[in-house]
Amino acid sequence: MSIILVGVNHKTAPVEIRERLAFSDEACADGLRRLVDGEIVREGLIVSTCNRVEILSAITAEQLESGTGRLAEFLDATARLPTGFLINHLYQHTDEEAVRHLFRVASSLDSMVVGEPQVLGQVRHAYSVAVEAGTAGRILNRLVHHTFRVAKRVRNETGIAANAVSISYMAVELGKKIFDSLKGCTVLLVGAGEMAELSARHLVNAGASRVLITNRTEETARQLAAEFGAVTVPFDQLDHALTEADVVICSTGAPTYVLTEGQARRSLGRRRNRPTCFIDISVPRNIEPAVGKVPNVFLFDIDDLESVITSNIREREREAERAELIVQSEVMQFQQSLRLMDVGPSIGALREKMQEVARAELVRQRKRLGVLTEEQEAAIEALLVSTINKISHPIMNQMRRFYETTEPDAAQSSKDIFELDE
Amino acid sequence: MRSLLATVLAAYLIAAIHSILAFINKRRSVQRVAEWATVTGFVLHTGALVVDWMIDGHYPLFFLRETLSFLAWALVAVYALVLYRYRAQAVGAFTMPLISVLVFFALLANPGPSDAPAAFSATRLFPIHTTLVIFAYAAFFIVFMASVMYLLQERELKLKTFSAIFYRLPPLTTINELATSAAVVGLTLLTLGIATGMIWSWNRYGRFWHNDPKEIFAALTWLVYLVLIIYRSTADWRGRRAAWLGVLGFALVLCTLFGTRLLGGYHKFGLFLGI
Repeated sequence: MSIILVGVNHKTAPVEIRERLAFSDEACADGLRRLVDGEIVREGLIVSTCNRVEILSAITAEQLESGTGRLAEFLDATARLPTGFLINHLYQHTDEEAVRHLFRVASSLDSMVVGEPQVLGQVRHAYSVAVEAGTAGRILNRLVHHTFRVAKRVRNETGIAANAVSISYMAVELGKKIFDSLKGCTVLLVGAGEMAELSARHLVNAGASRVLITNRTEETARQLAAEFGAVTVPFDQLDHALTEADVVICSTGAPTYVLTEGQARRSLGRRRNRPTCFIDISVPRNIEPAVGKVPNVFLFDIDDLESVITSNIREREREAERAELIVQSEVMQFQQSLRLMDVGPSIGALREKMQEVARAELVRQRKRLGVLTEEQEAAIEALLVSTINKISHPIMNQMRRFYETTEPDAAQSSKDIFELDE
Repeated sequence: MRSLLATVLAAYLIAAIHSILAFINKRRSVQRVAEWATVTGFVLHTGALVVDWMIDGHYPLFFLRETLSFLAWALVAVYALVLYRYRAQAVGAFTMPLISVLVFFALLANPGPSDAPAAFSATRLFPIHTTLVIFAYAAFFIVFMASVMYLLQERELKLKTFSAIFYRLPPLTTINELATSAAVVGLTLLTLGIATGMIWSWNRYGRFWHNDPKEIFAALTWLVYLVLIIYRSTADWRGRRAAWLGVLGFALVLCTLFGTRLLGGYHKFGLFLGI
């Protein structure tokens, strides 16, 4: 049995193609039932997200070529495209490579934004659809569960998802580096822009308890405030609001500075030197750069945020390198466990066959032994079985070793000796 | 005895190495090893001090070897508290190596005569005085560590350089709170320590004050931390200035602890490094 993965992702196919391939849950289950025939394609699973569509399947090893062809055709048919149309966009991985690919996808190493958390949930969902469709069997069950374990390990042992990589989330990130917890923090939005709104949402999710909104046109502020359960503040009372705010997000369309150094200094005095984090995402800038020089005030403009994001991405890339090592070692572990799974049945078969021979011989010779007590009879049988087990033990060990060291020929020849493949 | 202390050193070294590794690569599993090694080392260290006490018959805080070992022990205790209360793992990467060095020198140091002068072991007040002061110094070390971390992190945020340090140090207010509470604890202990020392001196010599360098430095240290705390609580003096004061205070602590060995004076008794 071989594991095959065929698919497209954001690197190999444009959105026009990916959207034609996207599967709904029902289409996914239907497709899987059609695809998995129990002879060539034994098991199957479809991962369909906005950035990728991939079919993972277990295919009878001897039918590898035709099986893989069927997967590709299946994708062509799904997208209602002529056969062979997708060939330039498809990638195809077999066995070890397929396992590695799945591990990388689930650990978010293959994502557009490395470390994004959604993809694991999507793989989980794909698996549950396959289970319901009845197309996840012995091999895929094992593979997918191992995949979850790998993804969890990568998440726990590396900082791949640790730092924000979007402007709107930076407010949370920077806030957390200044305040030990955002719980109980007050956020002030100056200007009711979309970006400010998104940042504020992130801050509220992270625990910020109060949002103040001020805007030149009060109506806009009021609308936004209604969505948040926030409080609006008249624009001319900005100074008063500054005193309360721990995090200030400024994004007005004003052509000049809305917040000056003097205002920041005065509010700092009233705040009894409690630190404030000013984030200015407007262009032209709305907060006077000199505000950043005030002690206990931290000012970040749009370029600063971009530079943190760049450095966060670098940090994630460093972590991704470590994640690749984890994936590598897990792929090896999985391959080994798969080989042991293969050897299990043949070892069992060997032992059974030998014991059968012994019992048959006993039956044949039984008459010559005359009358025996029950104990004697049991002892003779036990003697035969233990002799068989002791003799076959080194042979079985050797078979196991052949499988572990990937010597399929040697493993096959030991099967051949005992005529195990009927 | 020595072998027990050597085992303690081994545990602390493991903790130090893993703390540094955890600081660099931020792996939780490595951090866990560091914490377990710290706890193991601390338990063994406590045992070593108790055994010392029973064998030598005096409180194990008198000779140089004992002082170094006891100081290390106090630092571990304080560090463990900080870890438990603030989860400020970064502290370990700086503290555990220092602790290891202290224990290492304790192992090297001349064991000295096993009996302390009777005058010092006769009264309970003297060991109380030394213990209080040692713990005060350990707390001041935490203030110092927190102040340095504050200055580094604040610099990162102000200059927006965001180097590796930025990702590894705790948030500013956590560090600030840690520094403030450590300073309060330290000052309380130092006040009590100085008071017990004075009473002991009064009982023995009939005077509170000997004008020796150690006493003067201790008084200065006391004053600096008092100013630090008063400013923090009344004028809400936070941030860089408070952090610099924390660094200055610790420089005075070092002078008090080691400087008097060079300057001489009443607190120096031959082999014995006074507190």
